[in-house]
Amino acid sequence: MSQFAVEACQLVKKFPARPGTGDKPLEGEPASSQKKKRWLFGKKEPKAMFTAVNGVDLQIQYGEIFGLLGPNGAGKSTTIRMLCTLLEPTSGTAHINGYDIVKQANDVRRSLGTVLAGERSIYWKLTGRENLEYFAALYHIPPAIAKKRVDELIERMELKDRANELVEKYSTGMRQRVAIAKALLARPPILLLDEPTLGLDPQAARNLRELIAQLKQEGHTILLTTHYMEEADQLSDRIGIIDAGKIIALDTPEALKRRIDRKEIIRLEVSGWQDYIGEKLRAMREVESLVARRQGETDLWEVNLQATDSRVVLPKLMESISQNGTQLVNMNIVKPSLEDVFIHLTGKALRD
Amino acid sequence: METTFIPRSLGQPGFLSEVRAFLAVSRREWIIFTRYPSWIIALFIWPLIFPMMYILTARALSGPDGSGLAVFIATTGATDYIGYIIVGTTVWMWQNIVLWDVGFALRNEQMRGTLESNWLTPTWRFSYLLGQTGPQIISMAMFVGITALEFGLLFGVRLNGSPWMIGLMMLAAIPAIYGLGFAFASLVITVKEANAFVFLIRGMVMIFCGITFPVAILPGWMQSFAKWLPQTYLIHGMRAAAFTNAGIKELLPDLLPLLSFGAFWLAVGYFTFLWLERRARKTGAIGQY
Repeated sequence: MSQFAVEACQLVKKFPARPGTGDKPLEGEPASSQKKKRWLFGKKEPKAMFTAVNGVDLQIQYGEIFGLLGPNGAGKSTTIRMLCTLLEPTSGTAHINGYDIVKQANDVRRSLGTVLAGERSIYWKLTGRENLEYFAALYHIPPAIAKKRVDELIERMELKDRANELVEKYSTGMRQRVAIAKALLARPPILLLDEPTLGLDPQAARNLRELIAQLKQEGHTILLTTHYMEEADQLSDRIGIIDAGKIIALDTPEALKRRIDRKEIIRLEVSGWQDYIGEKLRAMREVESLVARRQGETDLWEVNLQATDSRVVLPKLMESISQNGTQLVNMNIVKPSLEDVFIHLTGKALRD
Repeated sequence: METTFIPRSLGQPGFLSEVRAFLAVSRREWIIFTRYPSWIIALFIWPLIFPMMYILTARALSGPDGSGLAVFIATTGATDYIGYIIVGTTVWMWQNIVLWDVGFALRNEQMRGTLESNWLTPTWRFSYLLGQTGPQIISMAMFVGITALEFGLLFGVRLNGSPWMIGLMMLAAIPAIYGLGFAFASLVITVKEANAFVFLIRGMVMIFCGITFPVAILPGWMQSFAKWLPQTYLIHGMRAAAFTNAGIKELLPDLLPLLSFGAFWLAVGYFTFLWLERRARKTGAIGQY
């Protein structure tokens, strides 16, 4: 048996780029060279490519919850899709439970339970029970075992009262529970959960997080992707922060936060924020990074600022903000969160 | 050193498991089919509506006293023009329904979001297509039965031949009709939109295979082309089986090409599926809708 539940080495995935979205040309190469280059005898010119995952290395121990944290489009889902054999990597290798994701794809699928696309991954015209029975057959579970397992999961997911109703009549949370039950059917050693709490109400999300913690206790290895930092922080033994297709930091949540322990995080709530104020503050020597985010459709902005010395920054901050109708509504100096780590590393917010 | 208990998968791979998976796909399709009542209604109305267009045209062209029918009988050798037409239109409907149902099976799954869920399991992927054929063949058999019943009751169409020979012709046509459907289904998950292809193929069947007229009236080049379409042999053989009491010996000239086309189209369907499935895995097309 392999030492690692999941092991990826220099995993790369490139896709043909949509117009205007291709990779930047290499240094020294003119921007238009890709377009102008032609093969002999009028063959097709090479397509512009977009690199979604750019050399990801991962080693996840058995029994570990590993959180892959990053903003939308960072490469989380592409990484998961390669690991679960839906996508073939452009280069690099990966092993799941010791099996190669390209050469031993079927053994990989037998070792995995995957939740992708949540509620859309099950049949709405079937009942919850019919869905689970169907997928049990697809996971090659013998009928007698499948029947018991389906009953057990229906009970566990608290679906017993409505198991024989069509999924189209379920709430989003219930559909998500069916999708998770589907992933657990074959009791796979490794679970890949892609944004499992996306779209759930807070209570349903909390219940799901409890379930994930229980699954770890039962020995499952879990690779979880999320862009909810609290979720990654709460659940993960280790976290990989991914941005622009690369893992830019990988450690325990505590260790990641310790990286910016000496920095002070100032969180402001400002009304009537203007971009020029941000430019002015960013120019200050003591300010390391600043991210301003509008709160919904209101005029209120949340400004997240990392500084080396708040005592120097604060008076200048107050002075800059309280002009031209801009008002400071609230201010806190807080402990660094994973999002602050992300801002520190990338200079942008996780949910930008 | 800390030891970790690793759960052992409950899946037991093997031939029987693959058969159960195939049956599960068929069962799922059948359940979903029966949960749309509109399809059952279509099963009763479509067999009547589509051939009626040709039957009424034939009635108008044969003149008020039906004297024009003599020309038709002389050309085709068939005395029952309604029966002649419904065999052709039923074969056309069969190919049409297979192109929409089987041909778009994977695409529909892709749009629902369930294709990836199926693809994530260790089941042989071609089973998802093969499994679709079971309920499709059952519903098509019902379609043929309902057609025979409706036209028997309303127009007095009577089958002179053996129902077993009709069944044999249809059975022999399954690999060709569904093989084309498999190739089509694989193409559709990559190109996403394929309505134009459906219209082209069913148009070709309509014009070249003689659904309401004998192929012999076509110009020479069209007759040569018709020989490359399995539906030509199916229509010819089914008419012979249904109305001239033809036995296996008489049907062999249609059965043999049908089976050969079947082997060809099944192989094309299977290899197209393998090729385009691999391509979709490389381009990420499986998850795109």
